[in-house]
Amino acid sequence: MGIKELLSQYGDQYIQALFTTWKLTAFSFAIAFVIGVAVTVMRISPVQPLRVFAEIYIQIFRNIPGASLLMLLVYALPYLDVLLSYFVCVLIAASLIPSAFCSEYLMAGINTIGTGQIEAARSLGLSFMQIIRRVVIPQALRSSVLPLTNLLVSTMLTTALASQVPMNPRDLTGLVAHINTHAVGGVTAFLISALLYCATAVVIGQVGNMIDRKVRILR
Amino acid sequence: MSDTMHETMNDRTPVIELKHVDKHFGSLHVLKDINLSVQKGEVVVIIGPSGSGKSTLCRTINRLETIDSGEILIEGTKMPQEGKELARLRAQIGMVFQSFNLFAHKTIIDNVILGPMDVLKKSKKEAKEEAMQLLSRVGVDSQANKVPAQLSGGQQQRVAIARALAMHPKAILFDEPTSALDPEMIGEVLDVMTKLAREGMTMLVVTHEMNFARRVASRVIFMDGGSIVEENTPEEFFNHPKSQRAQDFLNSIQAH
Ligand SMILES: Nc1ncnc2c1ncn2[C@@H]1O[C@H](COP(=O)(O)OP(=O)(O)O)[C@@H](O)[C@H]1O
Ligand SMILES: [Mg+2]
Repeated sequence: MGIKELLSQYGDQYIQALFTTWKLTAFSFAIAFVIGVAVTVMRISPVQPLRVFAEIYIQIFRNIPGASLLMLLVYALPYLDVLLSYFVCVLIAASLIPSAFCSEYLMAGINTIGTGQIEAARSLGLSFMQIIRRVVIPQALRSSVLPLTNLLVSTMLTTALASQVPMNPRDLTGLVAHINTHAVGGVTAFLISALLYCATAVVIGQVGNMIDRKVRILR
Repeated sequence: MSDTMHETMNDRTPVIELKHVDKHFGSLHVLKDINLSVQKGEVVVIIGPSGSGKSTLCRTINRLETIDSGEILIEGTKMPQEGKELARLRAQIGMVFQSFNLFAHKTIIDNVILGPMDVLKKSKKEAKEEAMQLLSRVGVDSQANKVPAQLSGGQQQRVAIARALAMHPKAILFDEPTSALDPEMIGEVLDVMTKLAREGMTMLVVTHEMNFARRVASRVIFMDGGSIVEENTPEEFFNHPKSQRAQDFLNSIQAH
C-alpha cells in the first residue's frame, strides 16, 4: 500500500492513535513525576525504613523490562481478583518505570545543591519538610529540566507497550500492528507512526530547552 | 524581646553556655571538655590553628553536629535532641558560614524573608519591609532582586548576615566569615560585624582577623587540639599570651 492509500484509509485512525499516545504519555508522565518526587523525598528522609523502601522501589522499576511489567499487570493481577482495563495496565507500567528514572534525575539535581545551603536552612529553624519544599525540590527541579524532558520523550516511547495488548482506541504502535495484520502497510505504515513520534519528541525537546533557559540556576 | 522570657532567667544567665562538652569523630577526639559561656552583648572571638575544632564547636551550638556528652544551654534552656523544639531554639541562634550558603535559586530578598515567613510566620509584606531595612543596613539593598551568583563574595556574606538578623536571633555564630573572600572585600564584612557588635549583638566569632579580635572582642578564646587552652581579654591575650601554644600560634601568624 502506498502512503496516499494508507492515509486515505487510515488517516483518521492515525490521528486518533496520536491522541491516544499523547494522552497515555501525559498521564503516565504526570503520575511518574508525582511518584518520582515522593520516592525522592523518601530517599533523603531521616527515616531509615522509608529510605530502604525507596531504594528497593528504584531498583525494581529501574531494572524491570516494560513488557514484563505489563504482562504481570495484565495476567497476574486477575489472580488477585484485581481486574484493570488494558488502558490502566499500560498507564501503570508506563508510569512506574519512568518514576524510578525521574527520582534518579532528581537525586542528581539534589546532589548539586551542596550541604551548606541545607545547613543554612536548618540553622534558620526550618523543618525537614520545609527544607524539602523550599530549598531542595525547587532546586532539584530547576536543575533537572533537561533530563526530565528526555524522560518525557522516553515515557512516550514506553507507552508503545500499549501495542502488546488489545486496546481500544489504539496507540501509534498498536495501530501499525493492526494495519499490518489486516493489510500490507509494510514499512510505510510504520514510518508514519515513527514520524509522528519524532515530531512530538522535537516539540517536547524545544519546549524543554526553553523552560531550562528560563529556570536554570546561576551558580 | 518579651519580658515574660526574662522572668525565668536572671541577668547573668548566659545566652550560650557549654558545660563539659565532648565530641568524637570516630577515634578523633575533636572537642575535649569544653566549658564556655557567652553573656548577652558579648563578642567572643575564637582563634586557633586549623583543625583545632573551632568550626565543630560553632556547629554543635545549633546542633548541626551532635555531641557525645555534656550540655549546651541557650538562655538556660537545654538544646533538645530533635524535633520542633530543636528547630525553635535553632531559629534563635543565627549562623553565618565561611561559604555564605545563600539559597542559589532565590533572589536576595527572598533569601532574607524565607525564615521570617516560614518559621516566624510573618506575612510576606511585613517580612519584605523588614528585609529591605536589613539589606540597607548591610548596604546591599540595591541588589535585592538579583540572585546570589550575581553578587560579589563580600555582598553575599553581608546578605547572609542580613538573613541571620531577620530572625531576631539572641546570638549569631560566625564561622570564619571572611576566609573565603578576596582581600579587598574582607573590610566591608568586618565593618558590618563591628557595627553589629557596637549595637550590642551577642556574637561568637571564629576568625583569623587579629585586628578585628583586638578591636571588637570582649574576650578571646584560644583553641588547640580540641581544647580551650587560653581565655582572656584581647589586650592580655595578644600582649601576654600565657601558654606556649598560644605564643607559637601568634608568632606563626605574625610571620605572614
Ligand atoms: N564531619 C567530620 N567527620 C570527621 N572528621 C571531621 C568532620 N568535621 C571535622 N572533622 C575533623 O575534626 C577536626 C576539627 O575540625 P574543625 O572543627 O573543622 O576545625 P577548625 O574549624 O578549627 O579548622 C579536624 O581534624 C577535622 O578534620
Ligand atoms: Mg573551620
